[in-house]
Amino acid sequence: MAVASFIKESLVNVGLKVENQDQLFNAMFEKAYEQGFVKETFLPKIKERESIFPTGLSVNDYSIAIPHTDPEHVVEQFIAVSVLEKPVSFHLMEDNTKTTQVQAVLMLGLNQPHSQIEVLQELMQVIQVEDHLEKLIHAKDKSDITALFQSINVS
Amino acid sequence: MVSKLNRQTILVACGAGIATSTVVLDHLEELVERENLKVELVQCKIAEVASLQFNADLIVSSTILPTKYSIQALSATAYISGIGMEELDKEILSYLKK
Repeated sequence: MAVASFIKESLVNVGLKVENQDQLFNAMFEKAYEQGFVKETFLPKIKERESIFPTGLSVNDYSIAIPHTDPEHVVEQFIAVSVLEKPVSFHLMEDNTKTTQVQAVLMLGLNQPHSQIEVLQELMQVIQVEDHLEKLIHAKDKSDITALFQSINVS
Repeated sequence: MVSKLNRQTILVACGAGIATSTVVLDHLEELVERENLKVELVQCKIAEVASLQFNADLIVSSTILPTKYSIQALSATAYISGIGMEELDKEILSYLKK
């Protein structure tokens, strides 16, 4: 459950209404910045990083994205979660000539390079286990998200 | 110099050198241990690969490869999405000397 402590309910948004990636990043940044999780530089840097090294992932029938940027723009570590009312286009992590329609976004605010493998392994369980990914994308409210992350355990 | 000859080096890269490459690194650590290989794994940013490649044998990147390198470079998104992990294990092993 290491990953559960990174999920801040105040940074979870189920049914977020945005038209495009730009609006999505603005909305997620605004909340994180207001609450002191990131520096002002986080917003331009995460947009820049996404345009050069995209983070869209297509996993079977689902699509998610895991935008993140360099550690110096993060004040306090967090994972922000947005489940989108309608999908937003992201380029694929392995191929920036292809796009995928992303249904949920896990924004990673990490600032410790090597000490967080347990958190990342658990995060990968959310992405790689189909049942977990389905629960994420079909979450009805914040408590569905926190319950999902609390249920993750990498032995 | 002897150890340098025996030991192979894999550069494990991602955009920021912090999130996805950590996942890939962890997976590769298990893989080389399981296969009992002498491999040094170096975590880095993709931007650093251009200068580090001359001391390495293989590049495994979780992000897109922005340029061509003088050594073999593989995409490791499979370790993030979980799709095609075993195939990627095999491909990586095929580039490493036993």
